[in-house]
Amino acid sequence: MKLQVHTSLLRAWRRLVFRWRRAQRDRELAEEIEFHRALKQTENRRAGLAPEAAGELSRVQMGNVTMAAEECRDMWSFLRLERLLQDIRYAARVFRRAPGFTAIAVLSLAVGIGGNAAMFTLVNTLLVRPLPYRQPDRLIRITGIYPRAAVPFFQQRTRTMDVAAVSPGAEYNLTGQGEATRIFGSAASANLFRVLGAAVAAGRSFEPGEDSPGRDSVVILSNSLWRTKFGGDPSVIGRAIALNGVPRRIVGIMPPAFAYPSAQVQAWVPMRLDPSNFLEFWAGEFVPLVARLGDGRTLAEARLEIPPLIGEFRKTFPYPMARDWNRDSTAIPLQRDLTGDIRGKLIILLCSVGLVLLIACANVASLLLSRATTRRKEIALRVALGARRLRIVRQLLTESILLALAGGGLGLFAGMGALSIFKSLLPSSTPGLAQAAIDWPVAAAVAGLALATGLAFGIAPALSASQVDLAQAIRTGSQRSTAAFWTHLRGGLIGGEVALTVVLVVSAGLLIKSLYTLSDVRPGFLPDRILTVRISPNSSFCTQRPACIALYERLLEGARGVPGVAEAVVADTVPLDAEQPDLAVDVEGHLKSVDHPAPMLWSGAISPGYIRMMHIPLLAGRDLAEADGAKAAAVLLISASTAKHFWPGENPIGKHIKSAGEQQWRTVVGVVGDVRQYSLSKALPDWIQGAIYMPYTQAVREDGQIPAAMTLLAKARAIDEGVVREIRKLAQDQNPNVPIGQVQPLEEVVTGSIANFRATIRVFIAFAAAAMLLAAIGIYGLVSYWVTQRTYEIGLRAAIGATRSRIVSMILAQGLRVAAYGIGAGVLAALAATRFLASLLYGVGAADPLTFAAVTGLVLLIAASATAVPAWRASRIDPIKSLRVD
Amino acid sequence: MGRPEAAEVLPGTLDLLILRTLVPGPMHGYGIAQRLRQVSGDVLQVGESSLYPALQRLLLNGWVKAEWGASENNRRARYYTLTAAGRKQLAAERAEFARVISAIEKVLNMA
Repeated sequence: MKLQVHTSLLRAWRRLVFRWRRAQRDRELAEEIEFHRALKQTENRRAGLAPEAAGELSRVQMGNVTMAAEECRDMWSFLRLERLLQDIRYAARVFRRAPGFTAIAVLSLAVGIGGNAAMFTLVNTLLVRPLPYRQPDRLIRITGIYPRAAVPFFQQRTRTMDVAAVSPGAEYNLTGQGEATRIFGSAASANLFRVLGAAVAAGRSFEPGEDSPGRDSVVILSNSLWRTKFGGDPSVIGRAIALNGVPRRIVGIMPPAFAYPSAQVQAWVPMRLDPSNFLEFWAGEFVPLVARLGDGRTLAEARLEIPPLIGEFRKTFPYPMARDWNRDSTAIPLQRDLTGDIRGKLIILLCSVGLVLLIACANVASLLLSRATTRRKEIALRVALGARRLRIVRQLLTESILLALAGGGLGLFAGMGALSIFKSLLPSSTPGLAQAAIDWPVAAAVAGLALATGLAFGIAPALSASQVDLAQAIRTGSQRSTAAFWTHLRGGLIGGEVALTVVLVVSAGLLIKSLYTLSDVRPGFLPDRILTVRISPNSSFCTQRPACIALYERLLEGARGVPGVAEAVVADTVPLDAEQPDLAVDVEGHLKSVDHPAPMLWSGAISPGYIRMMHIPLLAGRDLAEADGAKAAAVLLISASTAKHFWPGENPIGKHIKSAGEQQWRTVVGVVGDVRQYSLSKALPDWIQGAIYMPYTQAVREDGQIPAAMTLLAKARAIDEGVVREIRKLAQDQNPNVPIGQVQPLEEVVTGSIANFRATIRVFIAFAAAAMLLAAIGIYGLVSYWVTQRTYEIGLRAAIGATRSRIVSMILAQGLRVAAYGIGAGVLAALAATRFLASLLYGVGAADPLTFAAVTGLVLLIAASATAVPAWRASRIDPIKSLRVD
Repeated sequence: MGRPEAAEVLPGTLDLLILRTLVPGPMHGYGIAQRLRQVSGDVLQVGESSLYPALQRLLLNGWVKAEWGASENNRRARYYTLTAAGRKQLAAERAEFARVISAIEKVLNMA
């Protein structure tokens, strides 16, 4: 073996040397052969022939010297390589002569391959590539969420894991470093970074015990925060800043790729574990638990251990917990947890983009098949000149692979564009999303994909073309007796293409209908001409209720004085702004028990006038009034569905509700219409049973405090730049230490809440449009090919009296038959496939008959138009000409 | 081409025959053809149209090397010499040939 490699290397080297001195070699060979002939001539002379006859005979004896010389030359050249180059040159020439065909083929492949390159990248980065931590396969998530008290409990009791906790994150005011800003921070148990196996880029990680009270005044920055807010200054380690007014020392900076629990998080503070702080320890934010499996422990062992641990922990709660609390909790790999929400979406997109590639392949194969037919004469000529079948097949395969590679190259560029579009469809907080870029492995995969598609769609046309009946093809330039197999194959390809198109168009149709239903949803309020701006003082600022109330009174007064502003109110949440103000409450007449714990309500703190300004209908009782001040009797409004949930068939006015942590009841004074608070498709999250509105001056949060961060809503007579500027200035002037958000029209907040969905739909529409275009081209090509093949027959029919309309309808029927088979198969496939879309749909069933009918009609229409042109052409066939030529 | 009564060289054996012919010493193309004919008693006729491509093939594989020298009648001629690799190849091909021939004989001589 080694010897063979050695020999072939030597051979290649000698060939190189030969190439270099080709002329000399040729001369030498000629001289050598001439020498040989001269000796023969002498020999013949000796045998007694005349000089001329001797020369003549010697030449005859030498045989075909030219061919021998040719053979020698071939032997010395890189024959395979040169043939390949020759094939490529020839293919390039063929493509130049058929620019339309080439453009369609390359572009459709570029679309298919580009989309796939982008999706490969995303799937590879997010689902396949292991997390960037030490031994990532040992990391798990314990499902469910837990109070802080669970962290030490689990850490002490588990025998299979090393448990850590990290909060999903919340907004913090960052002061002490330039202008006050709002950042997103996450509270992490001190061992989090050690459990993940993630090292800091500078400084140090949290030390053990830094999650105990008194030692927790430290913070670790993300790379992005360090760069944007601290100018990338390495000396910030040790510097003091304030988060929500609490001083903290910067101890470390994370590397850019670290994005846990999400890419949104800009800073990590220790999660304080203080059993004496009842509210924070037992009732504050519930957090997810992550863990690393102990040495030699398995996921299965951890799963066995978790339910009994949770059962024990439930009994330690200082207040009754539902019996089925976290009953279904188990351990899942951390990677699955991180990609859980987007996994389905990614897979749907990957499948769709795969379908587009399949359609493109079928189309190009069909195009090549028809070209192979029109090129019969050329191919027959080459066969007649001595080309072997293998050689022809190779030439045609070279062409198709070249097409595919051109498509692949272009596709890489298309993929870069597509990647940024796909990225915008996924939540930007997805860990690792920002790092996703087309890299060498993906480029290699794309090249492989291009080669494979080139072979796949090239092999059938190449084989069909090489089966050419020489004599007939050269004589007529076309084949009357069609090779039935290849024609059927083409019909099958196009039918399949139509079926795949139907699947994509149905999906797009269902999504469009969802969007239409969604944008038609009445959100329960009128966002017209309302400007919003978020003002977020530290919660410590609002421990003195009067100070906080005074701040907002001043703000409201100022806003009402702005020219062009008709009304102004404040509210702690605005519908669809992604805030989730939930509150555990006691409801009069509803006793809490282990099986029925405190209900959760969506709790709004509003200033009087909010209900009227938002055009939320008042259904019963009265609206909140200025008189419902801090010292007046506590009142609230409830939504219509809340009234129905808690007091069905009763008058809710005068009933009582209170926060779970307080003593004094609040009286229901009015019932207002339901509002889509959470999203346009869902009024409220599943775990929330209703919505209430309290006057801001009386409002209370879970911790007994008044909400600190509020949104100012100002109804303008018309939204213009002047009003926006004035409102922003007004908000900023209140207090330099209070961060101010963007001034945003409420209508933008509403449309922004479905921007993600819109983008998804746009991509699907693009897929569906590409598929329809490709299918139209495919059908057009197929029918044109039939017409070309059957010119003689059609001419004959015309000659014996078939009318034009008869011929048109004959061709139309044939084209539509293929389309109909395709549509039938497509509808069945779509019925099976759209179930997977269900999570993306709103207000429309996955098998919505209207959508299916509309899509069937649309695809049929496209098929008919694509068939019409060649059918019309068929009707113009001049019988005299076609019969004479063929 | 070869005369009708002459036997064609068995396919694949021409290289072997040329290599064997070159064992005694360097020879030019004409010499090789003459020698093959003489030794085989005019049975084996090597056509020039296959002799030269064969020589080129041997050159390419490094089994012979070629040098220009003066011929008997003082004309420039290309002389082919067996290389060490060529000797090894000859031995190998000879053994293989013998094996095949004996196998053929066994089949022909079967009862």
